[in-house]
Amino acid sequence: MYDLVIRNGKVVDGSGAPAYSADVAVNGNRIVKIGKITEAARSEVDAAGKVVTPGFIDPHTHFDAQLLWDGCAKPALSHGVTTIVSGNCSLSLAPLKAKHRMKLVGMFNQIEEMPLKAFKEGVVWDWETFSDYITRIRKGLAINVAPLVGHSVIRLWVMNDAAMERTATDAEIAEMQGVLRECLDAGAVGLSTSYVDMDERLQPVPSRYADAREVDALASVLGEYGRVLQIVPEFYDADLTIARLDQLAELSLKHNIPTTFSPLFVNADNLDAVARVMKRVDEQFDRGARVWPQVQTRPIDISFSFAVPSLLFMRMPTWYRIIRFGTPAEIMAAFSDPDNRSKLLQEASALGPLWPTLIFRHANTAANQKYIGQTLEQIAKARGTTPVEVMIDLSLEEELDAHFLSSGMGHNNDKAVGDLLSHPRVHIGASDGGAHILSFSTYGDTGYLFSHFVRDLEAMSLESAVKKITSDTAAIWGIPQRGLLQEGYVADIAVFDAATIERGEEKFVNDVPGDGYRYVRDSHGVDTVIVGGGVAWTAKDGYKDACGEVLPGAVAEKVAA
Amino acid sequence: MPVDNLSRVRKSILPTEGDTWSIVAKRELPELSLDEALAKLQSWNLHVFMRAAGAMAAPGGGNPILPSDVVFIEPPLAT
Repeated sequence: MYDLVIRNGKVVDGSGAPAYSADVAVNGNRIVKIGKITEAARSEVDAAGKVVTPGFIDPHTHFDAQLLWDGCAKPALSHGVTTIVSGNCSLSLAPLKAKHRMKLVGMFNQIEEMPLKAFKEGVVWDWETFSDYITRIRKGLAINVAPLVGHSVIRLWVMNDAAMERTATDAEIAEMQGVLRECLDAGAVGLSTSYVDMDERLQPVPSRYADAREVDALASVLGEYGRVLQIVPEFYDADLTIARLDQLAELSLKHNIPTTFSPLFVNADNLDAVARVMKRVDEQFDRGARVWPQVQTRPIDISFSFAVPSLLFMRMPTWYRIIRFGTPAEIMAAFSDPDNRSKLLQEASALGPLWPTLIFRHANTAANQKYIGQTLEQIAKARGTTPVEVMIDLSLEEELDAHFLSSGMGHNNDKAVGDLLSHPRVHIGASDGGAHILSFSTYGDTGYLFSHFVRDLEAMSLESAVKKITSDTAAIWGIPQRGLLQEGYVADIAVFDAATIERGEEKFVNDVPGDGYRYVRDSHGVDTVIVGGGVAWTAKDGYKDACGEVLPGAVAEKVAA
Repeated sequence: MPVDNLSRVRKSILPTEGDTWSIVAKRELPELSLDEALAKLQSWNLHVFMRAAGAMAAPGGGNPILPSDVVFIEPPLAT
């Protein structure tokens, strides 16, 4: 008798091979048989009319904090995601000395838009080392986690405040190498670094004070383990991105490591720039380097209120200074002051075409409910004012808890995005799962891949899309025994209806510690998600077994340098 | 593919310890006067130069070139 059998489904095994009809049997955490299975099982899943695939792997997330209060990384698991890579963009929650906790919280708040109250009320800080953090998140883990360690955090650990001021000495670099080795031994899947991010003081994050010598030394340690280097390049500029990927290519070749950079967006106005980047990616791969660009599936939609700072206003200094550093009372006073208001209106004119298109999506007062779903242009017309002024007025009337949506701001050229996602050297990812929770939903990108690019646009086959987010990802990240539906592999499995799978509408929910809210999307069409042989989630019963693991494993086996 | 077969892209450097605009200008653009080289470098590297005000206020400020910066030493290539 088997522990679990998934019957009557169509197997898309993650290799890219055509789908075929078969049952899948599981014993313990392993797939033990694929074919016609007549034996009984302790538990069964009827997959008639559905496809059975390896669980999806999301390579770019920031669930580091959420995992401390939610081992399911909700709602990622419900979308079929069975493994997440945390710790991207130079930021991880370990290793971290007690004295640096608030510094890191500040960076997470600024860069990943994680609420301060969520850290304050959702996190019990009882670790310092990477190993202790791993021990913490293992409790109740329902999703697999492949954690990166952040370069900025390692710098803080070794250099303290000097990490934010200067290059490292030879001795400090050697110490950082030792810390990185400890993290890799404890299970880190690689190192992340950033060349763009700013901290809570709007100063460069510690990783940006590292010179090429330091990055090379850390990459040499990654080479000892064959682990990944992830970076955030200056993605807004093609020449800078190409310079960074050349730097990555040299590190990849010298130390025999995989590298990945994210994000890479494609818009109607940067097609040539993206083509140049991809040409360089191809050239570097042809040399033998591994430089994987990560591309997200969803278009850029940003929601905001003035109750919390939004990165949407980063390039508008008068606005950003007020909403980043002002208290709610100060923000409201600034919005009410005629002189200041005049300055805000003048600065907003630079983004003139944006404001009329914004959609008003949330209000608390009864009086403003009638405007929900309308554009600012429509509301402004009704009120006899301008879109920017109505945005300010609504924010004042709602005591800043008025929400606006800017939809389709970029990465929304279907043909170009579809072509990019299909490119054999593009790594589908960059969801940012668990981050920017007050700006947009980072969940459901896999559903959008299947509904939009496979089903609606036919930009790629179902089999190719599954391969991209399962076995390809496992291979890039060196995650063994996962990403394929094969006998002997770990039973991380998604069962879904290929005809109906999609991401749900974006909605906001109050489930963040500290009475916080976030934007999420439910999954549609996903039936069952299995992690490590346990039924982790079903559409019928919700979240169930907690069989997640930390990958690629606590005992890292070194590879030949 | 050997490195020589890579297509030409815009030339850049990664700074070494102590690099300032003047040091980079003298090293990378020796054929130009210092003033001319500085002006060119700064116009080619607005991502660094325009950050100067913020960086100057930072601890260790005074040199706006961060150790991790990409610094272009020629203008954008014609496309």
